[in-house]
Amino acid sequence: MMRILYFILALLLIAIVIVLGLQVGSFESDLATIAEAFLNYNPDNTTHYAIVHLRLPRLLLALVVGAALAFCGYLMQAMVNNGLADPYLLGTASGASLGAVLVFFGFINISISGFYMPPVLAMAGAFIVTLVVVILGYRKRQLIPAQLLLAGIAISSLCTAIVGLLTFLSDSEGKLKSVIFWSMGSFERASWTLLPYPAIALIVALILFAFMQKQLNILMLGSERAQALGVQVSYTRWAILATVSIVTGFAVATSGPIGFVGLIVPHVTRGLLGTTGRSNLLFCAFVGGLFMLLCDLLSRIIYPPTGLPIGIITSFFGVPFFVYLLSRKNYKFSS
Amino acid sequence: MKNKTIVYTLHFLCFIVAALTIVGCQQKQEQVGQEQGITITDDLGRKLHLPKQPERVFGFTSAMAEMLFAIVDTANIIARTPDCDYPAAVYTKPVVSNYPVDLEQVLALKPDLIFTSEGMTPLEDAARLQELGIPVYYQKYRTVEDVLKGIEDIGRIMGREQVANHLADSLRKEVQQLEANYRNRPNPLQVLTITWTDPIYVYGKNTLLTDKLRILGAENAVKETFDQPYPALTREYILKLNPDVLMGGTKEKLEQTFFSQYPELRKIKAYKDGRIYAPTGNLIERPGPRIVESIKELEGFLYP
Repeated sequence: MMRILYFILALLLIAIVIVLGLQVGSFESDLATIAEAFLNYNPDNTTHYAIVHLRLPRLLLALVVGAALAFCGYLMQAMVNNGLADPYLLGTASGASLGAVLVFFGFINISISGFYMPPVLAMAGAFIVTLVVVILGYRKRQLIPAQLLLAGIAISSLCTAIVGLLTFLSDSEGKLKSVIFWSMGSFERASWTLLPYPAIALIVALILFAFMQKQLNILMLGSERAQALGVQVSYTRWAILATVSIVTGFAVATSGPIGFVGLIVPHVTRGLLGTTGRSNLLFCAFVGGLFMLLCDLLSRIIYPPTGLPIGIITSFFGVPFFVYLLSRKNYKFSS
Repeated sequence: MKNKTIVYTLHFLCFIVAALTIVGCQQKQEQVGQEQGITITDDLGRKLHLPKQPERVFGFTSAMAEMLFAIVDTANIIARTPDCDYPAAVYTKPVVSNYPVDLEQVLALKPDLIFTSEGMTPLEDAARLQELGIPVYYQKYRTVEDVLKGIEDIGRIMGREQVANHLADSLRKEVQQLEANYRNRPNPLQVLTITWTDPIYVYGKNTLLTDKLRILGAENAVKETFDQPYPALTREYILKLNPDVLMGGTKEKLEQTFFSQYPELRKIKAYKDGRIYAPTGNLIERPGPRIVESIKELEGFLYP
């Protein structure tokens, strides 16, 4: 019963924050204007245009990216059986940053055949780095979680060092601004053409793992016990790896590497629904989306018009809650 | 015996008096020396003491290098920064790193004074150089007139008043003529000038460009004063500004790097009317003796 209540509450809060978010922007717009923009859309009215083509995709992108990162964080924590894991463990974030930075620093044309290249290269960087980490973490036809962790840290550090070197050698302040903005995350690039990529990846992954929640819960007991209980550990791990790299890759490519969400929201989910809840993954995605929506709204209210970099807000508001959660005596990572 | 004691005592006293006199004279000479030096106050209100009129100087910014080459004898300019590219004579000078500041290289050059402008050299770097005995003089510009006064100030400090005042006066006359041509124009053009496309950074209200546009009877489309001189803006904010003119790159370049990324901004008036221009970076960015050239370039864009 409580589970259903939590779901209803999360959905209600998401709807409220979206309605509030639609009212925040440079054009003054009350609820009546927003209703008019959707019910009687006039493309020549710039306020209508801003609400439908700028604000709504931004809010939906925040929702999708927050949900994707929280969902992937939950999967990674289950896979390596460690509460410190997050979606960027495989080097996705640093790989994406390196890809984008290579474009900003002129190694690749900023626009090819009309395509704006930073997100494309970010996606490519995320996949290449993840592939290298997985190859390094693979031994004797098995994925070794500890080795995967170490490989992720090492390759991430290498990518970060290359980004740091390029930043240091930068000959223009503008390039530095791009790198800083990119590395802290933003939803300002949101559009209806960009939104489907992370959204479709997330929806497909959610459907796929809706049938694997039980295996995930057992996997958190450790690989040997999971194997003994009939879970195909190797198959499950490969499924998680492939899903996390694709979903996180799209999220990072569209919004930059936003930290903390993928780490804390899975803990919040387990804190509220327990460690073995049947619908934990879906709830985790909802809470991640809600948290990101709230952070984006706050960032735009605190520092208009652009908003503060979203990664700063997620840390500021996430850490106190995380500390509270960890201090609760009845919370534990796995069953 | 008693006489001897008196004589010795007198000798001793004479010695003390003589010693005190010599020390006193030396102190007096030092005070005179200090009085002979020059104390100047820069645009940030920092007092700088120079032992003599500076002879070995250089600019920590490319704009300042242009100022110095226009006013000071070339022989007195001892270095340039990596960004300095105008006038051609600047290439004859050794390069010194201004970011980060190469302190050892600066010390080796033994400058009497370094010129820079607000925001271009961190105050901590200036303080460190001051500790090493090298004063740093800051200029601050909000208006075109500030730049012209800056030219006169450099002339005064370097003992080149005649050259500097002549240059400033001739530039001032041209500015006044331009101002008279475009005074009281109805519906002034709203101009948005971007400095970077991802994220979108623009020339804010409190930049020199706002005054250049005012002289030409136009306005900076950014009316709000932000903390940063070059604030970041959202697409929605730019849609609301709806500028008549957009500057920051050629139509072709901005189509590829700006409008392809932000197709929503194709709704602004400047895009619809095709009023997109690419000002010369070195002219629009540098507050220096080519400021009138910069204003005239803008004039060509605004009133083709």
